[in-house]
Amino acid sequence: MPGERRRRIVSRLSGGDDLKTKRLCEVCVEVTGLSGAGIMLMSGDVPKGSLCTTNAVSEIIEQLQYSLGEGPCVDAYERAEPVLEPDLADPSTPRWPAFAGPAIDAGVRAIFGFPLHVGAVRLGALNLYSDRPGGLTDDQHADALVMADVVAEAVLLLQANAPRGRLAAELEKGADFHYVVHQASGMVAAQLDVSVGQALIRLRAYAFGNDRTLADVARDVVARELRFDAASGENDAPA
Amino acid sequence: MAREAKLARTLVELADTLVADFDVVELLTRLTDRCVDVLDVGAAGLMLVSPEGDLRVMASSSEAIRVLELFELQSQEGPCLECYRTGQPVVNQNLAQVNGRWPRFAAEALAAGFHSVHALPMRLRGTVIGALNLFDVEPGEMAPTDVEAAQALADVATIAVLQHRAALRAQVLNEQLNHALSSRIVIEQAKGMLAERAGLNMEQAFAALRSYARNNNLRLAEVARDVIEGRLAASELNPPRS
Repeated sequence: MPGERRRRIVSRLSGGDDLKTKRLCEVCVEVTGLSGAGIMLMSGDVPKGSLCTTNAVSEIIEQLQYSLGEGPCVDAYERAEPVLEPDLADPSTPRWPAFAGPAIDAGVRAIFGFPLHVGAVRLGALNLYSDRPGGLTDDQHADALVMADVVAEAVLLLQANAPRGRLAAELEKGADFHYVVHQASGMVAAQLDVSVGQALIRLRAYAFGNDRTLADVARDVVARELRFDAASGENDAPA
Repeated sequence: MAREAKLARTLVELADTLVADFDVVELLTRLTDRCVDVLDVGAAGLMLVSPEGDLRVMASSSEAIRVLELFELQSQEGPCLECYRTGQPVVNQNLAQVNGRWPRFAAEALAAGFHSVHALPMRLRGTVIGALNLFDVEPGEMAPTDVEAAQALADVATIAVLQHRAALRAQVLNEQLNHALSSRIVIEQAKGMLAERAGLNMEQAFAALRSYARNNNLRLAEVARDVIEGRLAASELNPPRS
């Protein structure tokens, strides 16, 4: 019975402490038996950050999609339907040229994105991955759909209790909204006398060209070990 | 078309609208029209309780002022109000024999030519959100199967309204979430920009933004946006003495 699956899943979330986003992620893994999960928030077709991840590999998956703006979560959000890749290293249709390589290096073999939405309202996507290739079973797929529903509602419910104009404290805990990247954008915007949007593009280009993550580059900028000079391009700050 | 077939077709039609984007007022108005057709009554109206706690007309099968006023009256007294309060159907009320139960309403309804009235609760589990009101010219009783059909239509209306409200709530919350996140991002960007321009670290930059906001009675996100968009220079934000 359809209600039964949802009841079974929701029962893992209730009891005891207040709901934590981390628990939402953990239950995804418990229920599906996959290797890891992450919840990504998106708006205006742009990743905004992750609410939680269950392990280092999931964290890498979220970071890559944020840095590159491509990946199963991004696609799932845009298409408002699940995006399934049972074998990232040997796909039937190659996709995500920048994302796939680093994801495989990190240990991802199968990866699945489920859009998070409440009716027509889209929030982001749920990421599930496995360290072994293979598609989802019918049960796993059905469970993932229910989890995506539950997560979407839970996120909005958590925000409902936030003070006006602010992010709910519970949504911030354990989340990564890439503040260091935004701080770096502000700094580079001042260094180059450009808009923060343009500064972010420069940071991404530098990261991609130097095979580094956007977060790494941003940390160097904030630590004043890297600056972007209008006259001569990027350079390392003098010691 | 046989009555049962009409009812079935109505329910399918209404359920079908629920899955797509729908205009709730349009759906409810259509539902009241179908009530008149399927149940063979004179007029139908849907009353919903407002946030302030009183019953208001949401949809009516008739634009006739007389009819609308009859609905309005029931915010004060009448079968609809009773139905809403008890959560139970109030049916087969012969207005000529209500014996002072709803004096003003009964008199007005009779004057408008209606002799019987029924109210079915709009209810989902324990929550009553309003009532479906039916007026008939004939004083006779409504058959039990008709009462069941009317309740089914009231149930569809209830689901439509609750679904619409949930969708609105989700939209509002999502906008609040995105807005809060955007504000936060702008604040981080402003910290970076100020840190670079004034030679501060992030904590100092944040403190400068915050005290400027406080001293000028502005919201932090507003100040941050002004910095980012070049309307507020670093020199105007007094950095704390080191």
